[in-house]
Parts: sequence; structure tokens; C-alpha cells
Amino acid sequence: MATAPSPRFRFGRSEVPARPGDSILAALARRGWPSLARSIRYHRPRGPACGVGQCTGCLVRVNGVPNVRSCQHPVHDGDVVRPENSWPGPRFDLLGALDLLLPNGVDTVHGLRRPSRAAPLYQWFGRRLAGFGRVPDRSATTPRGSALALTAGITVVGAGRSGRSVAEALARSGQRPLVVERRTAANAARGPASIEGVDLLPGTTATFLDPPRAGESSEFTLLGIDSGDRAILVRTTTVVVATGAYDGSLLFEGSDRPGVITADLALSGIDLPLGKVVVVGGGARALAVVERLSGGVGAVVAFGEIGPEVVRAASERNIPLYPRSRVVRSVGRSHVRALELSRRDGGGTFRLPCRTVVLAHRRLPNAQLAFQGGARRRWHDGPAAYFPEIDALGRTSVPGIFAVGSAAAPGDLGGPAAEQAAAAVLDPTLAAAPRPASGAPGELVPYYRELLQEPRRGKWVLCPCEDVLLEELEAATARGYRGIELGMRYTGVGTGLCQGRYCLPEAIVLLSILEGREPTEVGHVTQRPPLVPTSLGSLATLRDELASGGGP
Amino acid sequence: MTPERTDYRAVVVGAGVLGLYTAYHLAKAGERRVLVVDRGRLSAGGSGRNGGGVRQQWETRSTIRLSREAVAAYRRFDREFGHNIWFRQGGYLFLAGSPGELERLSRVRNAGRAEGLPVRLVGEGEVARLVDGIAPGACLGACYLASDGTLYPYPVLWGLYEAVRALGVEVALGVEALEVLRDDRGALSGVLTSSGRVSSPTVVNAAGGWSGEFSRRCGLAVRNTATRHEILATEPVKAFLEPMVVRVSDGLYFSQSMRGELVGGLSVPHLPGTEAGVPSSPRFVSAMASALVGLLPRLSGLGVLRAWAGFYDDTPDGLPVIGEDPRLPGFVHANGFGGHGFMLAPSASRRVAAAVLGEPVDLDPKEFSPARFLGPDSSPSAERLQLG
Repeated sequence: MATAPSPRFRFGRSEVPARPGDSILAALARRGWPSLARSIRYHRPRGPACGVGQCTGCLVRVNGVPNVRSCQHPVHDGDVVRPENSWPGPRFDLLGALDLLLPNGVDTVHGLRRPSRAAPLYQWFGRRLAGFGRVPDRSATTPRGSALALTAGITVVGAGRSGRSVAEALARSGQRPLVVERRTAANAARGPASIEGVDLLPGTTATFLDPPRAGESSEFTLLGIDSGDRAILVRTTTVVVATGAYDGSLLFEGSDRPGVITADLALSGIDLPLGKVVVVGGGARALAVVERLSGGVGAVVAFGEIGPEVVRAASERNIPLYPRSRVVRSVGRSHVRALELSRRDGGGTFRLPCRTVVLAHRRLPNAQLAFQGGARRRWHDGPAAYFPEIDALGRTSVPGIFAVGSAAAPGDLGGPAAEQAAAAVLDPTLAAAPRPASGAPGELVPYYRELLQEPRRGKWVLCPCEDVLLEELEAATARGYRGIELGMRYTGVGTGLCQGRYCLPEAIVLLSILEGREPTEVGHVTQRPPLVPTSLGSLATLRDELASGGGP
Repeated sequence: MTPERTDYRAVVVGAGVLGLYTAYHLAKAGERRVLVVDRGRLSAGGSGRNGGGVRQQWETRSTIRLSREAVAAYRRFDREFGHNIWFRQGGYLFLAGSPGELERLSRVRNAGRAEGLPVRLVGEGEVARLVDGIAPGACLGACYLASDGTLYPYPVLWGLYEAVRALGVEVALGVEALEVLRDDRGALSGVLTSSGRVSSPTVVNAAGGWSGEFSRRCGLAVRNTATRHEILATEPVKAFLEPMVVRVSDGLYFSQSMRGELVGGLSVPHLPGTEAGVPSSPRFVSAMASALVGLLPRLSGLGVLRAWAGFYDDTPDGLPVIGEDPRLPGFVHANGFGGHGFMLAPSASRRVAAAVLGEPVDLDPKEFSPARFLGPDSSPSAERLQLG
């Protein structure tokens, strides 16, 4: 293979070399743990947490455009990358004083209004604290090409194991499905470079699934965005959601501190200097992390028991295990130095020195696209999360939308078999039984039940995007604003730049405990389109394409 | 939630900003036997789905007066209700792209000036100062009033909800008003709700997007219709835009919220009726993006964070329906506010409460009464500045 020239980009004052295919974060990570920004409200340190384009810990300004996820943005030679929301910089930020001056946070619903004469001052200051990056530079208005418009009979979203299997099965049946995959071809080591017999659209994130509406259209409209910021429009009759799962977060004091990451980032291939690692979780994901990081892992802790495979893998590597332990807090200032835990059987608290905490306790379905298309949800106690309600063949409640793989069902159930799902895609009349819910009771509810009874100090940041604190959610409940919809509107939880991917699943569990109701009574939030921030410029290129499509 | 009593002095249908404010005025006037019912939860309808704009620039004198009073009420809201609604008076800027539009805006200016508001026509240069990065030649001039502004709608609802309950008003959420009840002489006697019957000599229809439907079910239709309007918000960025900007030609409007998001919409063909619910459409999102980037090219790289929709409750003459229905004494309309219920609620609800209490209402019935839609000739005046 011919070696492509190595691109270089500017970060702050330094010039950073990158390898071909690198994301900005991947290139920065080789130089050390990057400091990229401070949080919106209290200017707390923020760092990369997921590595898969879901969280907002790695946002940077690239070539005058704010809030770019550095883990997803491929390096182009000459890129100018800047940290955001900090002055003079993210390592030492003067506004970081706000975090110390406001140890209990600020009540924006009732506070900051007296005396009335000061209101314009609060507003002036608040508007400068709010936001994340600055508005794009005037010079950042690059001309855009036209959108890509496609028509497909069957569209498979996601080319991971399940999506690929379904696509291949469809191809064997003589179909030629369109496969939309978020990973780029440059990441071919981890993503598919090609699949036999299908049209593959790599580097493309599906962001908006608009179902057919009577009298308007007979097809789904699927919008996407590719890594070059080009808008993609797909008109299709069938959508197979194979978007996989992601690792959820966990709330404790300092859970937003840089160095607390999810297993997704630990397994992403981004070469961060993780140092000594504490893994939280005792199941399959924890096993994957232990096997990958091996000697770097200093301990495995779990709220409940630790699974036998993890025990075996850990003992082979002389890794100590701490089952039945609850995370109390992370210790450190701008980065984790230790994790403090308490033994649930009454042994008191203890500290594990570490530089990285890997959360590997919970997999959440990445099924927002199916929900946006109108698919009904089903609550599963095991992972404490909503999944699409599907039958044994992967059919959701919306004709034409299928869900397969880990986006469709918790790990202990497994998704529908690819061959069967493909058969159902081709023949809607196939009969199938409904699927049971996951029976295993999860550990998250007892975890949070204990947590809510503990005395608290410091900030417990439920939503790291908007710095919403646990206390604010409790205040909403105490004042009678029940349910996740009102909790979200009262506190702002779930309304930040990650669209609630990390905080809403926690908030639903927390509210069910605070309100003394079932999670399904607390409700759910359907993520509004687009699923990831999609540039106005790229969406604008779709106007003519969409204007021609029937009624209003 | 089920109503605690069976007899009330007034039942308000709709726990949006209009309904809650009406209940508040009733309770403040001493009438606490008030029940507010809503089939949804708080903030589920238009009151939780709007962009928070509050302006005083209009074509009709009566609307200007109502909105001036509303601005004054929102200015003192934090003292009255103990909630910070972040009412920021950053101005409203109406952009004209043609001599005809400029002429129209000069009438808006004159109407405002006649009421003592310092509305100004500003040139392209000042527009460029107020809207950093506006495309050259994007407008000929604009109409501007610095004391218009934007607020954060949710705390308005929280403040009202807590205040009316503290005053003894009952708010039954999840209870749907199905139709009005009449006694054997045909007079209004109460409301049939999804939780049973309640008796009341007065009923206020403040059901927003669903008010036309409720009036029809009661056999008291006026000519308001619900239409779905869409809106979007961008990623939050640092403050760079002070005023709400409205373009006359296509109804593009946007402002930057306290959170830093650009929030706005566009007059594209909207879907009639409430049946389709409130999904967003790719068509709106792309049309809005195209309009925004055309006016402010620097926004091209800014991401859309979310899009949503709500219902406008439109009337043919653009004026709301406020007052007792002549066909059924005791049935009071508080609807037809188009997209402007939030901005007129504090003052309009005062008149609604007066109508409930049988007190004189200082509004011209020819402009606001439901009776204007019942005769052969419809209203003499109309408010056509249905933008933003």
C-alpha cells in the first residue's frame, strides 16, 4: 500500500502530526491526555468520555466552526483546531473559579433575579456563560456541493455484526440493500470496506427518520450526514435499524471528571494514556476491557457480583476484584487520581489510586432512529432501559421499520437471527411470536436507591453537557413536576448537545425511585431530530430536493 | 388526577399560559372555586412549544395595547411569581426586502408611535450592526423596537401553576373536557370531563390548538383552526445576536435564547388540523436552514440541535377570540391567538377573567368578540402582522 503523506494540523500554538485516517482526538491522544474545553455553566474540566461521537467531552473548534466532535472529525492537512469555552485555556481557566464559588450550583429557575435592576447584568453574564463555542467565523462559510439523493428499497442502518449479517442475507435473496454506516472507509480495520452485493455508504450518520404519513408520502425519508458534511437523502420503503449499542454512564460525585470514560472509549482504538485503570462492571463489557487493556487494569469493581469469566480473566492477570462495592466519588482536580468506593456489606470506604475509570456496567441501545420513526418502546429491567418492542423476526410496531442486534434487545436476550429478520423484511406476512422482556433484574436501581440515601457533598453532575445537577432533578420532583418530560423541561436535563444520550437513561431510573413509580410511568423522551447536530449549510442543500415531494 | 369537588364557579379548559393566567386573575379577584382541566401535562401544548418571543409591534391599536400591558406584566413576573423567566428585552427587528414591505413597516412604525412606543425605521447600516454577519443587500431597512424581547416559557408556567394552586385553584392534569352540559332550559350548567361531571355556570375555552375542536364539540364553533407550525433550535453558542429577527417576505424568524441556541421558524405551508400530531418534517428543517444560511451565511457550519412542532390556533382576521359566546351565556372564549398566545396572555387573560365574572371588558367587541364570526359580515379590522 502506498503511504499517504501524513497530515498535520494546528492545535493552539503547536503543530500536531497525524496518521492518515486519524481523527483529531486520535492524533491528540498520542501526545497525552488532551484538555479541550470546560463545561458550560460552572467551567468544570471536561475530557473525552466515549470516543464514538455520542458524548460532548471532546468538542473543539475546527477551522472556525464550533462544537466539532474531535473523535469523529478526520484530520485534514492544515486544519486549525482550538479549544473552546475556556480562558485563557482549558487547563487553567479563570472562570473555573465559578465552580468553587458556587459549590451547590445555581438555581436558574428561582435565582438570579434580585434586585430587579441587576437582571440585565445577570442576563449579560448568563448569555456569555451559556453556549459552548463561539458562533462560526465569517470566513468559515465554505461553499457546499449538492446533496446526495438516493432511492432504495431496503436500507440497513449500521454495518456492524448484525447489520452486515442482515444485509448479506438480503443480498443472498437477490436484493441489493443500501447500507448506511457511520464509520469511514479509512477506519476499514474496524468497519467494513465493502459487503458483497450491497451498496455501502460509509462515513454516514443517519440523523432523521421521517415515517410515511397518509396523504403525504408512501416512503420513509431518511436524512444523513457524511464525514465531509454532505447531506444525504434516502427515500426508502424499509429501514432495518442495526445501530448497535453504547456504554451508559454512571452518576457519582465527580463522575464528570476527565479520566472517567466509558468502555466504548477504552475499546475505540484511540490511544489515550490511560495509566492505571479501574474497571466498573462485572459482565461481558468488563471482560472485553480487561482483555484489551490487560496489564493496565488495576482493579475490577462491581456493584453486585462479578461474572465468572471476568473473575477468570482477572485472576490470570493478578487483577484484584472488588465485588459488592459502590462507587462513592472520583478523587482529583482536573483529572482522576483515585476512585473512592464503599463496601456494601459494611466494610467502610476505600480508595483505589488510578488515572482512568472505565464504566463497563451497562449497554444501552442506540435505537433512537427507530423511536423517531414511531416504533413503540419496551422497558427491560436488566439494563434498565427502553428497547424497541419487536417480535421474534425483528419487526417493530411500525410497518417497514425493523430492529436487529444490540439496538433491538439486551445482551442476555440477543437480537433476532439475521436470516429470519431478512426473511421477514422480504415477506411481511410471516407470523412470529412477540418476544419476552429481559427477566434478569438489574443492578442500577438498587445502586441509585442507595446513592440517593447517602449524604452528599460537592456537585453531582447528572447532565455534563449543561451541568445539570442531581439536586435540580430532586427539586423538580419535590415541587410536583413528575415524569421525565416535566423533569427535562424543569431542569434542562436531556436538552444539551448530546441530546440526552447519557443523562436521560439515568434520569429515568432516578425519577422512578424519587417518584416511587415504575420507569414506564415516569415515561420516555423521543429524541427530536436530528439525532446528532447537523449543519445548517448541509441541510440547506436539501431544500430543493425536498420541496418537490407532495403536500406540506 | 380527578377534580375534588363537583361544583365550581368557573371551569377553565386548558392549563396553558392563557388558562393558568385566567385562573390567576379569577383567584386574585377573590374567586377561588376555579377548576383548570387539561388533558395533557403542563407544557405539552403550545405554551411549552413556542419560541418565547414577546413584541409590541403590530398594525392594530388594540393589539398594541394588549401587548404593551403584557410586556409590563412579564417585566414584573419575577417579583409577582418568584420565578426567573429570563425576560430579555433585546428588541424585535422586522426586515423589509422590498419598497412595498418597507411601506408596510412604516405603517407598523406609525401605529406604534401613535401609542407612544419608540418604534423606529432603521437603515441597512444599523441592521448590519444589530445582526452581525447579515448578508450584504439582504434587506432595505427594518422596523425596530428595543423594548420587545424574548423570555423562557417554562418558568412562566411553573410560576403560574404554583401561584394558582397556592391561591386555592384546582388544576386537574390528565383530565379532558369532553363537552359542556346544559340544564333542561338549555343554559350552561357544567362540563362533562373524562373524570365525570362537574357543575359550573361558566366555562372558559382556553384549549389553544384544541380549542376549535372543543368549541365544535359543544356546538359553539367559531372560525378558528389549528395548524401545525414547526420550529428548530441550533447548538448553543456564545451570545452574538441581541434582537429577535423577523423577515417580512417569508416569515423567517429567529432569536438567540439565554442558553445560546438560535431558535426560530419560517412561514412554510403548514399542515392543518391536529390529527397528524406534532412531528417535525425534513422539508421544514431544510427550508429553514436554507433561509437562515441565506440571511446569515456565517451560520452555515452551525449544527441544528433539534426540531419540533406545535399548533397555532388561527382566526381569519388574525385577532384572538375573547369574550362570551352569545349562543350560550357563560361560555367564554379565550382562543384564536395564532402563534401569539404567550405574548398576549397576561393582558388578554385579564379580560377573559372579567368576562367570567360578568364585569365590563375593555375590548372592542367588534374586534374580539366571538359574535364577529356569527353574523353575515365579519370583522371590520384585522391584524395581518402574523409573523414571528
